[in-house]
Amino acid sequence: MSRLVLVRREQVLRGGQPLAFGIGLMVALVVGVFLLLGSGHDPLRIYERMFEASMGSPKAWSVTLNRAVPLGLAGLAVAVAGSMGLWNIGAEGQIMAGAMGAAWVARVGGDWPALMLIAAMLGAAIVGGALLALGPAVARAHIGVNEIITTLMLNEVAIRLLQWLIHGWWKDPESQNFPLASMLADNAKLPTLFERAHVGVVLAALMIAIFGVAASRTAWGYELRVAGSAGATARYAGISLERKILTVLVLSGGVAGFAGGIELSGNSDRITENLSNGFGFAGIIVAALALMRPSGVAAVAVLFGAVQIGGQSIQTLGVSSSVSTVLQALILFGAIAAGVLSRYKVELDVADAQPLRPTRRESDTTP
Amino acid sequence: MRNELTSTDTLGQPFAVELQGIWKRFPGVVANAGADLRVSAGTVHAVLGENGAGKSTLMNILAGVYRPDAGQLRIDGEIHHFRTPADALAAGIGMVHQEFRLIPSFTVADNVVLGAAERIVRRSSIESAVGELAERFGIATEPDRMVWQLSMGERQRVEILKALWRDAQILVLDEPTAVLTPGEADELAAVLRHMANDGRAVIFISHKLQEVTSFCDEATVLRGGKTVAASLSVESTDATELAGLMVGSSPAISERPPPGQVGEELLAVHKLRCMDDRGLPALDGIELTVRSGEIVGIAGVAGNGQRELAQVIAGLRSVESGTVCLTGEDRTFASPRQRFSAGLGYIPEDRLGVGLAPRLNVIDNAILRTYRDHCRGPFLDAESATAHCQDLVDRFRIQTGPLFHSIAGLSGGNLQRLLVGRELRGHPSVVVAAQPTRGLDVQGVKAIQDLLVAERDVGAAVLLISEDLDELLTLSDRLLVMHAGRIVAEFEPTTAERRTIGEAMAGHLDGACVIPEVVGP
Amino acid sequence: MNEASIIGLLEATVSFGALLYLAALGEMIAEKSGILNLGVEGMMAMGAVSGYVVALQTNNPWVALAAAVVAGALIGSIHGFFTVVLGAEQVVSGLSLTILGVGLAAYLGRGSVGRPPGAELVPVDWGLLSDIPWAGPVLFTQSPFVYMAVVAGCLSWFILWRTRLGLAVRAAGESASTTDAAGHSVAVIRMGAVAIGGGLAGAAGAYLTLSLTPQWQEGIVAGRGWIAVALVIFGAWRPGRVALGALLFGLTLALKTRLQTFGVEFSPILLSMLPYVLTVGVLVVISVRSRKRPSPAPAALGVAYRREER
Repeated sequence: MSRLVLVRREQVLRGGQPLAFGIGLMVALVVGVFLLLGSGHDPLRIYERMFEASMGSPKAWSVTLNRAVPLGLAGLAVAVAGSMGLWNIGAEGQIMAGAMGAAWVARVGGDWPALMLIAAMLGAAIVGGALLALGPAVARAHIGVNEIITTLMLNEVAIRLLQWLIHGWWKDPESQNFPLASMLADNAKLPTLFERAHVGVVLAALMIAIFGVAASRTAWGYELRVAGSAGATARYAGISLERKILTVLVLSGGVAGFAGGIELSGNSDRITENLSNGFGFAGIIVAALALMRPSGVAAVAVLFGAVQIGGQSIQTLGVSSSVSTVLQALILFGAIAAGVLSRYKVELDVADAQPLRPTRRESDTTP
Repeated sequence: MRNELTSTDTLGQPFAVELQGIWKRFPGVVANAGADLRVSAGTVHAVLGENGAGKSTLMNILAGVYRPDAGQLRIDGEIHHFRTPADALAAGIGMVHQEFRLIPSFTVADNVVLGAAERIVRRSSIESAVGELAERFGIATEPDRMVWQLSMGERQRVEILKALWRDAQILVLDEPTAVLTPGEADELAAVLRHMANDGRAVIFISHKLQEVTSFCDEATVLRGGKTVAASLSVESTDATELAGLMVGSSPAISERPPPGQVGEELLAVHKLRCMDDRGLPALDGIELTVRSGEIVGIAGVAGNGQRELAQVIAGLRSVESGTVCLTGEDRTFASPRQRFSAGLGYIPEDRLGVGLAPRLNVIDNAILRTYRDHCRGPFLDAESATAHCQDLVDRFRIQTGPLFHSIAGLSGGNLQRLLVGRELRGHPSVVVAAQPTRGLDVQGVKAIQDLLVAERDVGAAVLLISEDLDELLTLSDRLLVMHAGRIVAEFEPTTAERRTIGEAMAGHLDGACVIPEVVGP
Repeated sequence: MNEASIIGLLEATVSFGALLYLAALGEMIAEKSGILNLGVEGMMAMGAVSGYVVALQTNNPWVALAAAVVAGALIGSIHGFFTVVLGAEQVVSGLSLTILGVGLAAYLGRGSVGRPPGAELVPVDWGLLSDIPWAGPVLFTQSPFVYMAVVAGCLSWFILWRTRLGLAVRAAGESASTTDAAGHSVAVIRMGAVAIGGGLAGAAGAYLTLSLTPQWQEGIVAGRGWIAVALVIFGAWRPGRVALGALLFGLTLALKTRLQTFGVEFSPILLSMLPYVLTVGVLVVISVRSRKRPSPAPAALGVAYRREER
C-alpha cells in the first residue's frame, strides 16, 4: 500500500506567491468556462467582455481602481492585524462603522467647505472603524478573548445598527415609505481623478504605502514582526504585547473604517446597508493571497477589483453575477493549493522502507 | 512468521525488542548512525547516553513516530515496519514521552482508554476498569479526576497506565525522572520492577548514571548515534566504566576551570516570592547573591521554581514580594529592557520562542535587545543592524546562511551561540543562564560553557541554572540547591557528595546541616 | 396579545430554533474535532439550492433532502481538504467557502427563483398529540426537520460523549498529536467531522427551501449561518446548551416580525442584534473563567496538524 504525502521543502520556491496567484486565476478561469457553458454562454466572448470592462480602456481602469480601493484598504486592514498573527474578520462591519461616522459628519456639516467636510468625514470614518474594533482589541489584549469571533459578531451588529439608523433617525423624509438615508450633499463627495476614478485611489495607495514602509522599515514594524513571531520573545525584548495587540487591532479597524468613508464619499449618493458589498470578507482573501504584505495587497486588490468589475459588466449579457463570485473564491482555493505546493512537495509514501545498507547477520555477532 | 535471522537471548527466547543498524538523518543532523539495541522480556533495560547521543530518536523510531532511513526492527523476532505510532501500539509498544501526551480537559480514565476503548464508552465502567488496572500494578491514581488538576508525577502515572491499558509488552520511558522528586522516582522504580516481573520489557532512557545503576538490569550505551556498548549487565559493570562509555574519549567531567577573582556583589535577590502560571506559589522567599567573578550554580528537580527564578530576575514574571538588585540598585520592578541596559544578560531555557523569534531572520534576531540603538528617527537603520549582526556572527563563530534568511535553518548549537553571543556581546555585569547547554552536542556544550567562564573571568556575576549536575559541579564556584521554591542547601562543588546533593534536591536536608558522607565505590 | 399569537410565536420559535440547531450542531461537530468552519452560510446555501432543484426535478422531498445533505457534505469537504490535507488557514478557507457556496448556489438556482419547489416536507401529524392545547401546535405539528434536529442533537451527544468514536473526535479537537499517538487518524476524523458538519448545514439549508419558506431566492440563508457559528460558542460546545441557545436565538428571529403585533415599541432590528451581543458576552465570560480552568473551547481549534515535523 502506498499513498501520497506532503513533504516540506527545505527552501521555499522563489516567486511562489505570484505564481500561486497565477495558478489560482487559471483554475478559476477554467472552471468558469464550464460554468459559462453550463448557462449557455460563449466563454471567450464573456471573458473578453470582462477584460474590456475592467482593463480595456482608461474608463474601465478607473472603475476597476475605484473598486480596488475598498478591497485594498480592507485587505490592508486584515494584513495589519495579520502581521501580528491576529485575525480581523470584522472589516465588513468596520467599513459600515466608518461609513456611518462619515455619514454622520456629512449630516452635521452639510454646509461646510468641501475640503474641510471631506477631511472631517474621512477622519470620522477612521474613528468609526477604530471604535468598532476597540472592544475586540481590549478584550483580546487584556482578557485573551478570541478576536476572530468577536470581530465576526460585530459585523452583524454594525450592519443592524446601520439598518436601524436608516429606518429611523437618518431616514430621508422625502423617501416616503422607503427606508433610505438622505442624499449626500455635493460638497461631501470626493473629487474626481480621471474618468470615473476619484481621489480615494490616491489616498488608499498612500495609506498602503505608509503601512508598507512602517511595517518593513521602522522600529515599530520590527516590534510587530517580533510580537507576531513569538509573544514571549516580544516580552523578552521589552515589547508590551498588550499594547501592540491593542494598537494593531484598533489601527486595523481604523483602516477598514477609512475604506467605508471613501466608499461613501467617493462612490455613493447616500449611505445604504449594501455599501460594503462583502468588501470586508473579500479583503481577508486579498490579504491572505498577499501573504499579509502591504505591497502584495495593492496588487491583489487591483486584480480582484478587475474580476469584480468584469463580473458585474457581464450581467448585461445575461450572465448571473454569481459567476464572478464563484471565480473569486476559486482564485483563492487555487492559490492556496499552489501556495502549499511552493512550500511542500508531494511524494509517494512507500509502505515498506527497505534497509539501505545490508544488515549483518545477527546470529554471527550474538555471544 | 518467524524470521530465520532472529537472534535469541540466553534462554533461547527471541528478544522482545531488537533494533539493528538504525540510521536516521534530519536536515543537518545525523541522529542515529547505525544504532543497535536488544532488550529481553522481563528486564528493565537502560538506554544511556549524553544529550544528543540519539536516544530519543531511536526510541521515537521504536514508537513509530519517526521512520528509520535504514535498519531493521524486530519485536519478538518478527520484522516490523512501523508507518505510524498506531502500528507500534498495535505491536505492543507503549511510549511515555518527556512531554506528556495527555488531554488536560479529559479525565484520567478518558485519557487512559483513548484509542483503545470499547465501541460504547460507559463512564462508570471505564473508571472502575482503570482503577483496577492501576491497583494491579501498585499505581496510585483517581480515574475520575481531570488531568489538568494533577501534578507532574501523577500525570506520568496516567501515561504508564495508558500503556498498560493496551497491554503493552514493551514500555519505553524517555527520561522519566526529570519531572520527579527522588521519592517519586523510587515509586516509579517499584512500578517498573513490577512490570518487568510481569514479563514485560521496560526500556528506560536516561543520562543519569545513578538511576541506571539502581533501577535497571541491563544497559545499552549510545554515543554519537551509535551503540558503543550493548546490553551490559548493570550489576557487573562499574559506574565509572558506564560514564566512560557515555562520553567516550572526551573526559566525562571536564576539568574545572581555575576560579576567578571574586569581587563585589552584583546580583542580590532578597525574600523573593512569586506565583507560577497556575497561580500557585513558585518562589517562597528566595535569598541569593552572586558576586563579580563567580558562577553560582542552581541544582534542583525540574519544577521546583528554577524556571520562575530566572524569569523573575529577567523581569518576565511579576513579583509578589521581595527585591531583585542588579549592580547594587533595586530593579525589582524594572522592565526587561531596563534590566538589559542595567547590565543583565539573560539566556532563557526556551531558546526558540523566548530567546529567539523563530520566523524572523538572523539580523532581526541579532538586534532583538538593541534595536533601539539602530534607529534613525522612527526608522531602523538596516546597515547598522546588518553590521551588528555580522560582528556577532564573526565574533561568536556562528555558522549561518545568508543573514536575511530565517533562523529556522540554523542548528541547535548555532542558535544557542547566536542567543548567547547576543546576550554576552556587551559584557553584562550579571548573566542568568537557564539550561544553556540542554540539547546541544558535545562541542556545542563546551563552546557555551567556555563563553560563560570567559564572562566570569572578566568580572561578570553568573547565575547558572541547570538540570545537569555534572555541568554544575564543573562550572560552579558555589552550588545552591532549590526545592519547593526555596534555596535549601549550599555546597562547595569541589568537595560535595552527589548523594547528599540529591537528598537536598529531594528536600530531605536542611542547608545548615549538610554533612558530606563518604561513600566508596 | 392573544393566545393564538402567543402560540404562533412559540411555534415559530421552535421551528427557527430547529433551523439554527441543525446548522449549529454541524459546526459544533467540526469544531469539536478541531476545525473551525466559517463556511456555514455557504454550505447552507448549497443545501438550500440543491434540495430545491432536486425537489423540482423529482417531486420527492426526501430525495431532495438527501441531495441537500450530500451537497452540504461535499462542499464542506472542500474546506476539509484545504485545512486538513493542505493545512491551509481555517479562517481564510472557511470564508472563501462561504463566498463559493453562496455564489455557486446563486448560479445553480438562477432561472427558477420564486417558484415553489413542487415537493415540500409537510408538517407531521402526531394524531392525538397534535390536538393537545398549546403543546400540540407548538411541538407536535412541526415540520419533519424539527424532529430531525432533535434526533440529530441526541445522536451527536451520544456519539460524542458515549462512544469510542466520539472520544476520538473530541481528543482530535483537544490535541491532535495525542490523538495520533493513541492510534487514531486525525486527518480521517477531521475530514469526517467537517463532512458531517457540512451535511447538517445542508439539511438546515433544505429546511429553508423545502419547508420553511418554501421556495428559492438568492440570499435565502440571510446570515443564519453566522448565527449558527455564534450558537456553538454560546452553547459552550455542548449539544444541550446549544439547543437552549437555539431556542433563545430562535425566539429573537420569531419575535422580529411579531413585535408590532404584540404592540411592543422596540425596534426589531435592534432585537436581531441580540444573539451576536450575547455571544460576545458569553465569550468574554468564558475567557475570564478560563484563567482558572481550561476553556470549554477545543484546545486545538483552528490549529493544523502535520506529523513528523522537526
